[in-house]
Amino acid sequence: MTPAELEFAGLCRRFGRLRVLVDAGGAVASGGVLSVRGPNGCGKSTLLRCLAGLLSADKGTIRARIDGRELDGDERRARVGYLAPDVAFYDELSGHENLAFVARLRGIAPERGELLAERLGLPGERAWHAMSSGMRQRLRWAFALLDEPKLLLLDEPFQNLDAAGEAASRALLEERLAAGALAVVASPSHVDLPRVTGELQLGG
Amino acid sequence: MSSNWAAEAAAVFAKDWRCELRTRHAVATLALFAVTTLVVASLVLGPVGNEPARAAQIVPVLVWLILLFAAASGLPRAFVHEEESRTAIALRLAGRPSAVFAGKLAHVVTLVAALEAIVAPLAVVLFDLRVADGFAFAAALGAGGLAIAAATTLLPAIVAQGRGASTLFAVIALPVLLPALALAVAASRAALVGIAGGDELTLLLLYDGAVVVAGFLLFPAIWNP
Repeated sequence: MTPAELEFAGLCRRFGRLRVLVDAGGAVASGGVLSVRGPNGCGKSTLLRCLAGLLSADKGTIRARIDGRELDGDERRARVGYLAPDVAFYDELSGHENLAFVARLRGIAPERGELLAERLGLPGERAWHAMSSGMRQRLRWAFALLDEPKLLLLDEPFQNLDAAGEAASRALLEERLAAGALAVVASPSHVDLPRVTGELQLGG
Repeated sequence: MSSNWAAEAAAVFAKDWRCELRTRHAVATLALFAVTTLVVASLVLGPVGNEPARAAQIVPVLVWLILLFAAASGLPRAFVHEEESRTAIALRLAGRPSAVFAGKLAHVVTLVAALEAIVAPLAVVLFDLRVADGFAFAAALGAGGLAIAAATTLLPAIVAQGRGASTLFAVIALPVLLPALALAVAASRAALVGIAGGDELTLLLLYDGAVVVAGFLLFPAIWNP
């Protein structure tokens, strides 16, 4: 049985009169990466939000399965590891506190957040408002990987990271893929990704 | 390990209080508005408690208006702030909607209770009030406070994702809060002079129940796409 599978077809999404996502489709299975590319505004982030269950598509189908069981929208939201530039955390809380809060919501041991922060080189005692853009991206990585998800949706995952940050996050991504997770990775330009099994070009 | 509903709600409640205690945004706004208004009113009106009939006409209205406007100025940010600061995405992904609502509601209820704990004794002292039925007065404060808390948790959640959230909140809060305010004033007035106000209190509790139940039923649809 394949640990995780994701298929989507005919996805369309409008914002008012603006058609942002038109007939997008793709598939990816455990251990693989679907690379989504396209210029700014072509719908990459909208696609990932729809796949995460954060946005409903106007048309189209999304089928996500983990260990052979199909997930509905609520389950997808709860099981996905989502990283995107618009994910923010509480200004008043430190990196560790933000991760511990999410861990409590998801029923995960808070030590998992501290471990991830350490591996990502994140200064966990620093408050979100005092973090540089690179540190914020590391915290987003820790958030996305906190629950050891089998569905990873990564929107521009390496932006703002320095060489050490990118190496640490790539190593963690590789580990998750080796453990049977799948990933959909969106970026506006070419990014070297491991285990790419499919490509989707949007807006071109 | 899997989370349970109560632990999720408690996590949201604890997080909101931790953030609040570090910024004191709502506490400062609520207390400043409430205390300033109460002190100014007492300076103008004087110790109206010496004239029980006049005090019963004026003070309950004043106290509930102060509580309402203090709450309306400081509380609707609960969900609006989550959307504006984009923390709502992580919260949506991590928590169950009903647990998020319960945690937020518990936070707002305790904030309103704290506000009442300041405003009510201060009003008694500043206006030299003699409360005929202290238990009924406390019950009216509790039920009325829950009404304000429930409405100021649910309504901002409805408007938070739209544009002009503050304006929309003011527009939809008026018809929702008006009956609760009228009942709270009537119940407090009855307690102040020592006449039976059980009907108003019962209606207020029914209102509380209806808004809280509506909140738990509506919130998942509001919160998620």
